Amino acid sequence: MSTGAKKRIMKEYAECAADTPAGMKIIFDEQNMTKWEVLLDGPDQSIYAGGHFKLEITFPNEYPFKPPVVSFKTKIYHPNVSNDDKGSMCLGLLRPDEWKPPNKVVSVLRLIQTLLIEPDIDDSIEPSIANEYKENRKEFDKNAKDWVKRYAK
Amino acid sequence: MAEEDTADERVEELETLQSIYPELEINLEQPTRPSARINLQVSPIAPLQIIFEPESAIHRLSYLPPLLLDLILIENYPLQSPPEVKLTSSWIPKPTLQKLEKEASSQWEEYGGMQMIFAYISYLQEAAESSFGLSSLKLPISLKSAILDYNDQMKREKFDHETFDCGVCLEPKKGSACYQMQRCGHVFCKACLQDYYNNCIAEGDVNNVKCMAPDCGKTGNAAIDRQKKERLVSPKELLQIPLSFENVKRYAELKRKKKIEADPTIVFCPRSWCQGAMRTEKYPKIVDVSQMEEDSDDEVIAEPANDGAGQEEGQEEQPKKLTDKERDKDRLVVCEDCNLAFCKQCLASWHGDYYRCMPRQPKDLTEEDQASLNFILANTSPCPECTAPCQKSYGCNHMTCFQCKTHFCYLCGAWLEPGNPYKHFNEKRNKGCYQRLMDLATGDNGDGGVQFGGRRGAEQQAEFWEREALRIQMEELE
Repeated sequence: MSTGAKKRIMKEYAECAADTPAGMKIIFDEQNMTKWEVLLDGPDQSIYAGGHFKLEITFPNEYPFKPPVVSFKTKIYHPNVSNDDKGSMCLGLLRPDEWKPPNKVVSVLRLIQTLLIEPDIDDSIEPSIANEYKENRKEFDKNAKDWVKRYAK
Repeated sequence: MAEEDTADERVEELETLQSIYPELEINLEQPTRPSARINLQVSPIAPLQIIFEPESAIHRLSYLPPLLLDLILIENYPLQSPPEVKLTSSWIPKPTLQKLEKEASSQWEEYGGMQMIFAYISYLQEAAESSFGLSSLKLPISLKSAILDYNDQMKREKFDHETFDCGVCLEPKKGSACYQMQRCGHVFCKACLQDYYNNCIAEGDVNNVKCMAPDCGKTGNAAIDRQKKERLVSPKELLQIPLSFENVKRYAELKRKKKIEADPTIVFCPRSWCQGAMRTEKYPKIVDVSQMEEDSDDEVIAEPANDGAGQEEGQEEQPKKLTDKERDKDRLVVCEDCNLAFCKQCLASWHGDYYRCMPRQPKDLTEEDQASLNFILANTSPCPECTAPCQKSYGCNHMTCFQCKTHFCYLCGAWLEPGNPYKHFNEKRNKGCYQRLMDLATGDNGDGGVQFGGRRGAEQQAEFWEREALRIQMEELE
């Protein structure tokens, strides 16, 4: 990784540390700065309220020319998060063809918070969950809450 | 004695002015007629519209060549007569200049025989801010380059002295270390622009050589934005940033190559050491990279070309309605690199018009070619638009063709609507792909070596109908 990239990650961390968006905590290890751990609280107004989610943000070597990779380490029942052991996300500015170098991790984290409040159904990674969200909202809410209890307490 | 006093008074006035305008030049060679000259900046607040006749394009300029003011403080100034003034400009119309010159006497009268040069200069500067009352101007074309160059140079100078926050390295940078994109005006530091574009070009990802600003050219509506053709930075502009000539050349060549490869009417030289494309007017060879402006022919990629569909891989028959003669007429093509004249149909060196030849058969392929073809057939999905074979290494089954940006499904090869590509995976009737967006997310050989064999589309459909047939048979039996 180039020194420019490292500098930028440091700067972004400094910005985040000075002004952390509400409801999240960033764990940063200077020895391994390309992997951030983020502890995210389920937003109050969302179905995930009360849950605590562990996320991993990995910076590629070409950062910021390539997007960071996000994965949910805590299982979550959500149309935009893959329902496997990777918990990967692939939408909006996280898509390699939509990512632009001036985008920052903070905007990624904000996007995730927004998605917890309101999933993006048209860009879903788990079509069956998206379908349930659309057609049987009650069932979706129940499942999502169940998972919060099971995995995110 | 009295005379000397007035002379002093005049020189004094000029010296005072010089302390305000250091660029003022005083000339005291003729002690009785002290004179001075100053160049006054003309940078109107609202840009001045100029047409260079006979062209009709309107140029909006914020910086115009300066107005030169020559002053002579004659003997009777300031008590009995106004100063002599002369205004010179290459572009301000004569009547306007005369009017401005006359204003010197009016001002002098207004000031009742007092020193008034400062007031007059202020008046001219103020008038310059509103383009001396001119709203638009027609000038001869001979002035064009000088006036435009001046405007660019002044803009550059102003820009160089500003400070910008580069959105990529997040550092404040002096304007002289930055570059402003020509089309949209976004500013980044040169080092980051060079890093990014060089990286894109090195990876062959020429479709990302566009402005880095996240909102540039976006409407905010993902469905509309996905369908929009994005504007790439021209080779000419890349050289201005500057990128190295070799890289810009590679960029221009890659872009051209992509277009040629996406066009099924183009055949390639049969000499294995050459493999150049056939000569065609559609994609002229690159002559001078430094003059290559923005492409106007980006749509060429999407143009369906059906006249030469039969050439593709040499397997299909020519459409029947062509007579032999018509077909023959276009058989002769010439390689743009090694100048070999060869037959478009059988890919042998040119055999003359009266020779009947057949399209090259797959069995004519060399062993090596056959091996690569087999691999491609077994391990890739072709793009439905340009047939470029794609292999997935990671991610979901919504693919965007690296070559022509078409959206398609990796499983069945179906074209996907750019506005909502995921719909395909959410509709029950797309049996083979329903809810399988994330299948094989770790690539073809992931998931414990599970692999799709063969051309996914056809194979899967065959499988599906086979199962359907079996099911119907079973039903009938019961």
